[in-house]
Amino acid sequence: MKRTTQNWTLDTLKNELNRRKEVKGWIITQEHIHRRERYFMLDGGALITDQDREVRSQSISAKIFVGLPKAGRQGEISKKLFPALPLTPQLDSAIAAARQTDHQAWSLPGAIPKELPEVLTADARMAEDLEGVMTGLTRRMGAAVARRRPTTFSSAELFLSIHDHELHLSNGLVHRSSQSRIYSEAAYSFTRPGADGKPHSDEYLNTRWAVSLDDLPVEELFDETSDRAEHSLDVRKPETGRYPVIVDADVLAALFSSQLTQLSSMNAYHGLPFVKPGDELVPNASGDPLTITLDPSLPYGADTAALSEHGLIQTPFKLVDRNRVVATATDKRFADYLSAVPTTVRGSIVVDPGTLSYEELTRRAPKVLEILQFSGLFVDANSGTFSSEIRLARLFDNEKKSVTYLKGGSLSGSFRENFRGARLSNRPVKRAHFSSDAPTGDGYYGPDFALLTDVSVVG
Amino acid sequence: MEIKRAPFSADLRDLRQSLKQLLPLLENGPDWYGSIYFERKSSKTYSANLKQTQVSDQVSQGAVLRIYDGYTLFEQATDELEPASLRSFAQSFAERVAATRPPEGARKRPYRAVSWSERVASAKLDPELLLQIPNGTSAETPVHFGIRFQRYPKAATAAETLARLNELIARIKATAAEAGFPQEELTFITARESFSDEQSIFIDRETDMSQALYRVALTLITMSGSDRTFLRLGGLGGLETLEVKPEELRTLLVNLKGLKKAERLAPGKYPVIFGPVLTGVLAHEAFGHSQEGDTCARGRSKAWELHKSGERVGNEQATILNNPAIYEMAGEPYAAWGSYFFDEEGWLAQEQVLLDRGALTPPMTNLTSSLRLGVPRTANGKRENWASGVYTRQTNTYFSPGDQTLDQLLSRMKNGFIALHPAGGMEDPKGMGIQVGISFLEEVKDGKLTGRLFKGPAGGDIQLTGYTPDVLNSIVAKSKIDATTSAPDRSRHPFNDAGGCGKYHKEFVFAGCGGPYLLLDQVILG
Repeated sequence: MKRTTQNWTLDTLKNELNRRKEVKGWIITQEHIHRRERYFMLDGGALITDQDREVRSQSISAKIFVGLPKAGRQGEISKKLFPALPLTPQLDSAIAAARQTDHQAWSLPGAIPKELPEVLTADARMAEDLEGVMTGLTRRMGAAVARRRPTTFSSAELFLSIHDHELHLSNGLVHRSSQSRIYSEAAYSFTRPGADGKPHSDEYLNTRWAVSLDDLPVEELFDETSDRAEHSLDVRKPETGRYPVIVDADVLAALFSSQLTQLSSMNAYHGLPFVKPGDELVPNASGDPLTITLDPSLPYGADTAALSEHGLIQTPFKLVDRNRVVATATDKRFADYLSAVPTTVRGSIVVDPGTLSYEELTRRAPKVLEILQFSGLFVDANSGTFSSEIRLARLFDNEKKSVTYLKGGSLSGSFRENFRGARLSNRPVKRAHFSSDAPTGDGYYGPDFALLTDVSVVG
Repeated sequence: MEIKRAPFSADLRDLRQSLKQLLPLLENGPDWYGSIYFERKSSKTYSANLKQTQVSDQVSQGAVLRIYDGYTLFEQATDELEPASLRSFAQSFAERVAATRPPEGARKRPYRAVSWSERVASAKLDPELLLQIPNGTSAETPVHFGIRFQRYPKAATAAETLARLNELIARIKATAAEAGFPQEELTFITARESFSDEQSIFIDRETDMSQALYRVALTLITMSGSDRTFLRLGGLGGLETLEVKPEELRTLLVNLKGLKKAERLAPGKYPVIFGPVLTGVLAHEAFGHSQEGDTCARGRSKAWELHKSGERVGNEQATILNNPAIYEMAGEPYAAWGSYFFDEEGWLAQEQVLLDRGALTPPMTNLTSSLRLGVPRTANGKRENWASGVYTRQTNTYFSPGDQTLDQLLSRMKNGFIALHPAGGMEDPKGMGIQVGISFLEEVKDGKLTGRLFKGPAGGDIQLTGYTPDVLNSIVAKSKIDATTSAPDRSRHPFNDAGGCGKYHKEFVFAGCGGPYLLLDQVILG
């Protein structure tokens, strides 16, 4: 989209940065975002759009590295720049501030990659016609809402966006990429008279992120939401104790993502918790051995990319092989700091699947608890511990051959303790997550379920 | 100390005029209510740790053009702010809305802009807000609200700010030695200070107003291995919000030392005293989220049903307020983190009781939820930023203060735990569950703190969970605002810490989090 308010162009910015003697290097990113969003709800029984939004934005950010009088040190700033404002004062203030900071010196790669891997990052249907896709998905959601169910539709949200991204580095690299993002949620409630004669009700909210439309099964999402809402009243509290617990791919994605920081050279450099190559990821593990790869080539993964921010080619990179840490994810900065070789740092977390089916996991112990949804899973990346209230779960009592639904109480776990005897399911699934405070997404491709052992639950 | 107010940024004057001229285009349809919201957040973040210092200088700005047609709130947002572009953007937006068919079977609920005289007459506004509205204000009068500050936050240079942060790190190291904590075990220290100048404009046919907020925060984190303690200070005002007391640094390190040998809590029911930040989280998750009007309008909150039925959901101690109009608190001269003068749909800030001694009142609202539910508008229409959609969101949520000192609460509990350090929380508006995360607990024996710390059953955070009405019925007593003395409170509002809030799992906004101490009896911790 053409911008009319423009005092300068990216070329002007690059020339100006190159001209300044104090500037050692720079990374410029430009992003155009086109978003379409709709919020749906019922009003007097009619399906309405509560909000209908369109957003267009452009941002230019620069990381500027400046020389300092101290040997082996440099200054840095991360700054948003506005084409609507004159460039010189923006750069003057940024460089002045950068000169007050103090980092160990490092540099961008000297060579520019010649041939880049081809990666699939944007759904062509969205890139070509975002409005058309919004119309189509709205229609499908309308049909899903219209379906007769024992539950009541409460609300839904549908957010679509296309992010066109440009990366310009002071070593001459220019790289353009595009990513599509989809967020969808649905909420259904279920009401029936309780023993006290009053109506009792509860709900289920389901959310899903995806990059490709093919990874967003709208009808499945609505059906599952309604089905779980229907069971939301057949619940009792869990009994306090320790359980084998099945968690799903969304939970696994969050847990593995938090472990990744402990496999990074950033943690090594800063003295933060770090698991070095050669160590076991899970000490004394006896379950399915974990094999974890960072895969930037996964088609339509949340962090699929040909290049890192520092302009290095990204290829699949194994971090953990059968529970043994084999490598450390290291970007160019930390490679220079630690005299190491830079590696892949982007990509979805790929976890090799196990051998058991979901049904087999549910039968692995006399009583197996399956978490259908946590209320709010909080994971501490430093300690590897996690905890949450149980929003909805089911207990497989394999001796009584019964399945009961549970709600309430909380679960506390630890990656290092509760993955010790973990078994992984044999079916891999893809998951994506994006948050507004991170420029890239979190992707996962791995077992759809895992059975953790000896997990503390309070009811 | 001279009191100053954050001014309207002079470079936005022309933009304000050009935005105003778009309004006729946004009211070019039958029963269309047009409005415009503009936001600019200019923030600088400085940080220092044991290895490096760094600066980030970010600006986010954009305009949101809005048409409400009686059924749907349409928004078109852009950061392209040149007048001709805005005009053509508004034109195509109006065409898009005009081409949209009204939903079949839905009831039309038109909205009319509210005049200044209606605004002032109908609300019980805080004096701090009222005195900034000139007499005789009309639709044509530009009204500006500026946050008060004492020490100008923009005055410090990058060099001065980074020097201050490095000095804090040096103080932490020195305090570690005094606290008997070996420096080599202090593996990571970081100090981060941020300042944000938040300018916003709201325009409709009856209103042309702006506000300027200075948001200042400081976070200190100390780590030893995977154990971590933190101190967070902040508020709306100047650098007076960031004064670190020596005893706060000492506590940071004493707790870190305690965590190294902390025991694991056996899951179960315990009496516990919640400190102010945790009571804020409890209030926020209990009948904060479930009292958000859009959640009620979507049929996703039990609070709406319970409000209508009049069923009680807590005891006499259970009074919860939401208040975006806290401009000074607990003896501090600055405004609470979740405060403002008007929300992002142009409604003036005002205190609201959400739960009155166990009885639910009408919910907080934004424009559309107020219309759909048929309840009064409140100033709770907020968005993550100009590019995100508006929802009903909380501002500063807290329990009303009681009459006890902390010592009295400790004596009354006798044996149990005190929880002072939050670790998130989660709402369950329809199911009425609650989750309040606690970093660690300190043991209380015979009404005295023992210094023994407890982590969760797996060595991480501890979660308070339960059925919300059960938790609110377990409140035994509440402290005064100043819990250190039995003298009558002089402040009107309790302290609210700098916090954040998501709507379920996204849409992050700032929210204040505080209140009195609460003594809770036999709540589930695990």
